[in-house]
Amino acid sequence: MIVDTLIIDRGVSAGDAWITVPSESVRDALSGLRSEGYRLMTFLTCVDHLADASRGGAPGEGLRPAAAQGGPPPVDDFPKRFEIVYQLRNLESREQLRVRAFVDGDPPKIDSVQDMFPPANWDERETYDLFGIVFNGHPDLTRILMPDDWVGHPLRRDYPVGGETVEFSQEHEKWQTAPEDA
Amino acid sequence: MSETQGVTITKTGQAGAFGGEILTVNFGPHHPSTHGVLRLIVDLDGEQIRRIKPVIGYLHTGIEKQMEALRWQQGVVVTDRHDYLSPPINNLAYALAVEKLMGVEVPPRAQVLRVIMSELTRLSSHLVWMGTSGLELGAMSMLMYCFRERDAILDMNEEISGFRMHTSYIRPGGVFADATPRFLEMLDKFIGTMPGHVDEYENLLTMNPIWRSRTIGIGRLSPEDAKVLGASGPMIRGSGIAWDLRKTMPYSGYETYDFEVATSNDCDCYGRYLVRIKEMRESVKILRQALDRLPDGPVNVDDRKMLPPPREELETSMEAVIHHFKLFTEGYSVPAGDVYVAVESGRGENGCYVVSDGTHKPRRVKFRSASFVNLQALERMALNHMVADMIAIIGTADAVLGDVDR
Repeated sequence: MIVDTLIIDRGVSAGDAWITVPSESVRDALSGLRSEGYRLMTFLTCVDHLADASRGGAPGEGLRPAAAQGGPPPVDDFPKRFEIVYQLRNLESREQLRVRAFVDGDPPKIDSVQDMFPPANWDERETYDLFGIVFNGHPDLTRILMPDDWVGHPLRRDYPVGGETVEFSQEHEKWQTAPEDA
Repeated sequence: MSETQGVTITKTGQAGAFGGEILTVNFGPHHPSTHGVLRLIVDLDGEQIRRIKPVIGYLHTGIEKQMEALRWQQGVVVTDRHDYLSPPINNLAYALAVEKLMGVEVPPRAQVLRVIMSELTRLSSHLVWMGTSGLELGAMSMLMYCFRERDAILDMNEEISGFRMHTSYIRPGGVFADATPRFLEMLDKFIGTMPGHVDEYENLLTMNPIWRSRTIGIGRLSPEDAKVLGASGPMIRGSGIAWDLRKTMPYSGYETYDFEVATSNDCDCYGRYLVRIKEMRESVKILRQALDRLPDGPVNVDDRKMLPPPREELETSMEAVIHHFKLFTEGYSVPAGDVYVAVESGRGENGCYVVSDGTHKPRRVKFRSASFVNLQALERMALNHMVADMIAIIGTADAVLGDVDR
């Protein structure tokens, strides 16, 4: 059973129920939910809230007023930059629940849950690849979609669209010149 | 390490069960049987598979990143392109997510047109699957038969949306355009002939001794494994679990259609084949019901803040000009919040998770693709099988690599 002390915040967004848990106890929360019947993790991903200027304060400091009344989460009030989203489903009752945890830091770190939910294995690799979130305890945390030697994490919001040199563009001539020692 | 025709073989030094040594062999990424560009690193003991590590990402196009740079209505064009065999179903997941955030309900005629396009897409996707899988396992003529019917579906796509493949037909707020009388005629004719064509495919494959020996007992996935690994679509139904989002979590009015969820208790490649055949028959049933009930009325929501006004209004109404200008310079904004919507595509749960910060562009769009998750079950299915069986297993998993890599 998931204890109420693990839930910082709860609400409903456009008909989807969600709860927020502290990032350091995400494994406890998810294993509790798993034993309650939420056995399938539909997907795991991350949202980058770089644009929000109002961050600061300890994680989970205070309930968000609008969210506490069941309204949509106010967007300018995310405690930390990265929001990890776990979408769970109970295959028997067909209920769905979204679990959110906020992380920060360089690199941002959170515990891996791939041993409890096998489909999370590739999802965590993808989130590491595209957002740079480090999942503690993941057996093979390597890039999955981008090439192994890629620099940066493309889905972060400070990574510009078109930031990469495009072949056959004007910059291509500069780019294709190999280093002297190659 | 020796290299012949792009195949790299590394000796591991471990002893195998047959007196030989376990070899690590690279398979792909450019191999005709991988349905795109899928690379597999396979540990072989003789010809038996001891370990498979899929290496993906060769078709990564940054679709989720592009969505963040496009306005809500522009994003539809990009959704077409991740699972390139079922564009209208991808459109539908995105459109439903945006509509749910905005609290918009599309008119009944648009609902039915969406169902028609979804089912046509499911058929064409299964036809491509059957044609190419048949080709890989030696039934060369399957490709010709299946592509003949697929071409009829593409003709209908062209008639209704102007495009044969990337239709962008289903959009937030409704559909691109009303069905033309010619489209409805073509559809009627198609529904009449398709069941006979499915019989043809069954004649060619269902009792075919080569097809049966290549698929029966190959690539077993137990119901428990299918659940734990998060498999969806024909993968989970081929393992005997009647999980179909059209029935279990209905959308677009699917709860009002009379159809059965195709399942098979075989749990192997043959079972997944039977599921797809049954699904094609059920899709034709749904199409017939949808065509019979197609109501009259508008195909778009009547909301000038979301969809442009009709062309003729622009000449008489100042309001219409303002709405038109605002929509095409700025777009519309979607209330803040996040939502996850899942629809059933030809290969499983095709979901769209959308986060809005209240502006005219999404903050984050995540596509939960069925192929990405189903492909993770590959190792469980192919373990201790022969290399040649791996081709059948990749085939019946029906992973579209554009969908895997997004």
